[in-house]
Amino acid sequence: METHLEDYTKFRPKPAEEISDVVRRAGRMFVIACGKCYKVFEEEDEGQHNQLLETLGDDSARIAGHARVDFLCNEILSAKKIAGLELGDCDSIGVMSCGLGVQFLARLFERTPVYALSDSVAHSVNYPTDIGYHGVSLEADKCAACSQCYLNLTGGICPITNCAKGLLNGPCGGATDGKCEVNSAVDCAWVRIHERLGRRGELSSFGYVQTRDYSRPSWKTENQLSVQNREYRHAGFYGGFHPLEKKEMTADKRIEPLAEPKVAVIFLCQHLGKRAKPIVEPGDTVKVGQKIGEADGFVSATIHASISGTVVAVEERPYPAAGRRELAVVIENDGRNEVHASVQPRDGFEALSREDLLDIIRESGIVGLGGAMFPTHVKFSPPKPVDTLLVNGCECEPYLNTDNRLMIEQPEEIFAGIEIARRILGVDSVLIGVEENKPEAIATLSALSEKHPSVQVVSLKTKYPQGAERSLIKRLLDRDVPPPPRGLPFDVGVMVSNVGTLFAIYQAVARGIPVFQRVITVSGEGLSRPGNYLVRIGTPIREIIQHCTGGDVERLLDEYDVKMGGAVMGIPQESLESAVIKGTTGLTVLRKPAVPVSEERDCIKCGRCVEVCPMHLYPLFYGLYGKQGDPGKTIEHKVEECVECGCCEYICASKIALLSFIRQEKAYARSADKG
Amino acid sequence: MLAVQIKAKEEILPLVSSKRIFIFECLGCHDVYYPVEEAQKLIDSIDQEIVGRATLDYLCHADYDREYIKAYAREIERAEVILVFSCGVGAQVVSSLLDDRKVYTCCDTLYLAGFQGLTAKEFDCDQCGECYLNYTGGLCPVALCSKNLLNGPCGGSQGGKCEVDPDMPCVWQEIFDRLAGLGQLETMDRLGPPKKWNVSPA
Repeated sequence: METHLEDYTKFRPKPAEEISDVVRRAGRMFVIACGKCYKVFEEEDEGQHNQLLETLGDDSARIAGHARVDFLCNEILSAKKIAGLELGDCDSIGVMSCGLGVQFLARLFERTPVYALSDSVAHSVNYPTDIGYHGVSLEADKCAACSQCYLNLTGGICPITNCAKGLLNGPCGGATDGKCEVNSAVDCAWVRIHERLGRRGELSSFGYVQTRDYSRPSWKTENQLSVQNREYRHAGFYGGFHPLEKKEMTADKRIEPLAEPKVAVIFLCQHLGKRAKPIVEPGDTVKVGQKIGEADGFVSATIHASISGTVVAVEERPYPAAGRRELAVVIENDGRNEVHASVQPRDGFEALSREDLLDIIRESGIVGLGGAMFPTHVKFSPPKPVDTLLVNGCECEPYLNTDNRLMIEQPEEIFAGIEIARRILGVDSVLIGVEENKPEAIATLSALSEKHPSVQVVSLKTKYPQGAERSLIKRLLDRDVPPPPRGLPFDVGVMVSNVGTLFAIYQAVARGIPVFQRVITVSGEGLSRPGNYLVRIGTPIREIIQHCTGGDVERLLDEYDVKMGGAVMGIPQESLESAVIKGTTGLTVLRKPAVPVSEERDCIKCGRCVEVCPMHLYPLFYGLYGKQGDPGKTIEHKVEECVECGCCEYICASKIALLSFIRQEKAYARSADKG
Repeated sequence: MLAVQIKAKEEILPLVSSKRIFIFECLGCHDVYYPVEEAQKLIDSIDQEIVGRATLDYLCHADYDREYIKAYAREIERAEVILVFSCGVGAQVVSSLLDDRKVYTCCDTLYLAGFQGLTAKEFDCDQCGECYLNYTGGLCPVALCSKNLLNGPCGGSQGGKCEVDPDMPCVWQEIFDRLAGLGQLETMDRLGPPKKWNVSPA
């Protein structure tokens, strides 16, 4: 079907004589132009400045300089951008934008006159009775936001935005041949209403007199909503959003061990950095906790057997964290669950040195278990001193309760892990950040923290992606980590560690247990047994899903998406043949969306991606240049600073596959960087 | 773009009595303002059979709605009434696509200042087509004066507040203060031409 997209650009230049008049009395002027919004996004620059110079002719010499600021009404990002502009010795600021941008700048530049060079444009067929506001789409239908919706009486056709007179009780006497007397190009709304009610058999329901309450809503109500809304959206850190949390399904389910798999597929790359080297061969027998992969270099991690049995293959298998195959050790279970001799509790671990502790962590194959999988022994050897350890118990991903349950069921072990981490890092101050939707975890940890004076538990208002390191540091300490790829938390003296990782550190150091199992949440739709399970690394995803659906899973992927991780950042699985790795925080099963993301759709410049990006980026450019096949241009728009939190794609009103563009463009930027 | 409030159940229940119901619930503006819990409360208070419920994003987008209608075709076919939880734009788009079905909205739509742009603000633009900000220190009398006065305050400005709504600041007082701060008070003397209230859309 042919789609018609309206152009809702909010402003146009003022008449030429008015612009010249303003510029003549304004002295030397610096012009700031908004990049426009709510229109199909085809090219980055609208050429507004050249148009302005042309209009001004000889007077153009009075223009001291110019800059384009996209989404000028985004006060936080725009103020930052404008602070970086060289305004020189200008006497005034000229603005090309809708009235919001002009008013914002008039507030920002308190002592410099700010002049509008454009008029805002209404988009209503029946101006001036009422303005109609469009939705987050470019449809022709509009809503007057009158706070007293009449649509249930009028067959879903709004008489306020569609009748030139805003009549609520039937047509006036002026309609001729079904056309409006005010504007004969427009259908009489009341004729359309009458016809539709006829088709619906609802003509009889229309019979009583409506009056409109023009005092609704009061200024106070609207203002309070505005203030509330801004606080809600900007709480703690810029950007992010509030997905439906959907945690109730598994929040109260105790961690249950899942049966060991018959065959375990243990990948040799379950971490960032170099793949581990296999040290077993087909035919070898192995025991639980036995080392089967040796870390290859400093930024790598060791790998351990998770079941006892026989190695049947060392071969490539489908890898869950990316759509590729990876080398794995495949072990057939002998059913004996024999534990390797190296797994021994360690007496007197409290006396171990920092180096000994780091050795144990490296030998135990500990990586960031919150999903990032960065080797912990590397992370805990920062090149700069850190003063604070942030313990990440946010778990802001919808559906997941892995960390939540661990905090409820194993709090003492987590605290013991914190003590070990503190000794390694030499920090005094520890903050545990937990989102307020986990009251039981907060209560449990807070009670324990009384025995640990240097540890403080902080309850945080929920917002995605609060669990991302940078967001959490901003929220808890108000420190800004320099942008990636180079900036890291230790640059601002902070170390962030997930509660699961700290639990694993305790297990490794005190009990000698390497990472061969972990807790995952299996949740979502169409599951008869969602829950929190302790699973062996290498357990095939198929077996877990089979357990949780309690039935056949052959056709599951026809109707459902299975994501490794949560609903937002989870990695969709192309098949169920893959297996659990150290970074598997959960499996989320979701009905396939009726409207999936695509690389084809047009961006409508609604600006929502800009509003949610916690890195202060403008993701719409990644979509534009990705679609145009011009990845080099996104380097200017700092694509390398993207942390791939997925907020932009999740919120995108056009359902553009922004993440896939971003990943391609980041890869391009990296290769360009290397020359 | 727009905020919604859930209608009173007394208004909705008579529309759905002894009918099978399908529900469209739009979360596209969840972060703008969508009262998830109140919506659920209203749905819980309905005694009739709910044959299906689609919770989705951007119901204001007709292309998406066609896909959703396709995905839920069976349930929608069985329903006698379709209830929509969204702003007035979403409700109208669904209604036009299901032209001969009974489609009712469960929400009243409210406007938040600043939403032709991106976020809620304490100031606003009415898109009047004839920008006055150059004479008012960058504060808009069209959007912020209850009486849309363009040449100074009315006699009802009391202690910096508006007589129409004493919670509301008088924008002409604010304009005066701002112009004084800019050293441009003489701008107040300007008597502009009458506003072209019939400025047509572009």
